[in-house]
Amino acid sequence: MSLTALDIFDPSSYPTRRDEEWKYSDLSRALRVVPQADDVHRLSDRIVIAAGETVVRFETSTGEAAVTHEDLHFAVGEGARLTRVVILDEPEDAVSIRRSTVETAPGSVFKQYVFSTGARFQRFETHVTHAGHGAEVEMNGAYLLKDKRHFDLTTRVNHAEINGITNQMIKGLVKDQATGVFQGRIYVERGADGTDARMRHQALILNDGAHVRAKPELEIYADDVQCAHGNTIGALDESALFFCQTRGMDEPTARALLTHAFVMPVAEAIEDEALRAKVLEFLEREAETYHAL
Amino acid sequence: MLSIQNLTAAVDAKTILKGLTLEVPAGEVHAIMGPNGAGKSTLGYALAGRPNYDITGGSVTFNGEDLLDKEVHERAAAGLYLSFQYPLEIPGVPALTFLRTALNSQKKLRGEAEVTAPEFLKKVREVAKSLRIDMDMLKRPLNVGFSGGEKKRMEVLQMAMLEPKFLILDETDSGLDIDALKVVSDGVNALRAPDRGMLVITHYQRLLDHIKPDQVHVLVAGKIVRSGGPELALELEAHGYDQYLGVAA
Ligand SMILES: Nc1ncnc2c1ncn2[C@@H]1O[C@H](COP(=O)(O)OP(=O)(O)OP(=O)(O)O)[C@@H](O)[C@H]1O
Ligand SMILES: [Mg+2]
Repeated sequence: MSLTALDIFDPSSYPTRRDEEWKYSDLSRALRVVPQADDVHRLSDRIVIAAGETVVRFETSTGEAAVTHEDLHFAVGEGARLTRVVILDEPEDAVSIRRSTVETAPGSVFKQYVFSTGARFQRFETHVTHAGHGAEVEMNGAYLLKDKRHFDLTTRVNHAEINGITNQMIKGLVKDQATGVFQGRIYVERGADGTDARMRHQALILNDGAHVRAKPELEIYADDVQCAHGNTIGALDESALFFCQTRGMDEPTARALLTHAFVMPVAEAIEDEALRAKVLEFLEREAETYHAL
Repeated sequence: MLSIQNLTAAVDAKTILKGLTLEVPAGEVHAIMGPNGAGKSTLGYALAGRPNYDITGGSVTFNGEDLLDKEVHERAAAGLYLSFQYPLEIPGVPALTFLRTALNSQKKLRGEAEVTAPEFLKKVREVAKSLRIDMDMLKRPLNVGFSGGEKKRMEVLQMAMLEPKFLILDETDSGLDIDALKVVSDGVNALRAPDRGMLVITHYQRLLDHIKPDQVHVLVAGKIVRSGGPELALELEAHGYDQYLGVAA
């Protein structure tokens, strides 16, 4: 179902888990507790990046509203560059859905970095269309979930034109009873030759009881394309943990070192120095509480 | 200094160490030789406290304290160092970060002051130079993509930085080229001290030409079947383990 048709105040408009797109994330259940109207944050916007322009955007959830529903549309003009860094730092009882659509003009660049600690229910959707040839898209993300938090990262990339590049690196950590969801689809249309698309999702489940649901998909109808996807979900490497301990680190320190190192590369890839520092600071701060056993 | 009495240990319910007794006094270097699968690495892991290595009998004391009572990191802070036969790769953690975290963790547990960044760097530079390790390599994630020999050199660098009281070197010589063997042996010899003990596990006399042992033990099928002076290594090199295989069974 399309999110634009979703009305927070109309339960009949909620997607159900029978809906293939929503089977891992039960929005109806989360919205059963929809609060007063003044606690809902709604935002709908259309952002145009003019040809040749460079825009770096930082978005962060203030976490004031109990329910958030955002719908953004980005049009990235010819040869333009849009970098979007998003930190989702919401309280544990928040419910939020954020959807954005992105259209790339020829030779444009769109880079997105999303960092999340989840919420009662949190979904971040990005729909990208390579509408112009030779566009470059990067969509990276990292999630660190604990307690009963839920984060759903859903991405749809449609290669409609030739010579488009898509790179995705998503890394996740889940512990306690948290759930991480990654649904990624890359669709290469007939005729979108020369497409180079790569999607990688790696998650560590730090204890029994935490879950990761991943559904990476590649659908290719063009010739002469390079596509790859990888999905690895596992536990922390016990041998590496033991190795650290033999050098004197106690278990929490060793775990923190290894798991922090696991998600770090996503932040380190951010080119904008100020934003990279901001994200690193966020991750360091999170790490302090996250890794305490 | 290290006293192992009648140690039995099992891995995944399979008994590997079958009543192993060994004493290494402070200031001495003891070598352990033995056929593949005899339990040499198992002994190192059991002493270090690897999970899933069940101690089913016997005792180990280290400087008079019960070693087996302690957690893995406590054994390290007490001064035990195991140089791995196959050092692990630590993705995403630069060797320098790893080493400094390890060093400060040990110091914290011992109630000592942490090393400052400049102090740490100064010392690392000296040690790296003596082991002919490039500082650039220490900025890379520990052991990731390192060659076999480089990993072994990193083990010795960590050892030199952590200054343990007791060293277990599990085939630290394997994978080293001729020059590296000399450099690494010099590094190990530099650590020889009256208050420090070493257990050197090796298959080759070559290493023992550089690191001269006080005693040599033959480990076969989970037990020490013979002990002797340095000449025992030469004898093993000449005759192999055939004569011991019957004894252990
Ligand atoms: N997880 C395990 N389950 C069952 N058997 C194991 C396990 N790990 C090790 N072993 C067995 O324990 C025995 C001793 O192994 P160990 O690695 O200690 O030998 P080693 O003396 O170090 O040999 P090498 O000279 O080849 O390094 C071997 O027979 C090995 O197969
Ligand atoms: Mg071995």
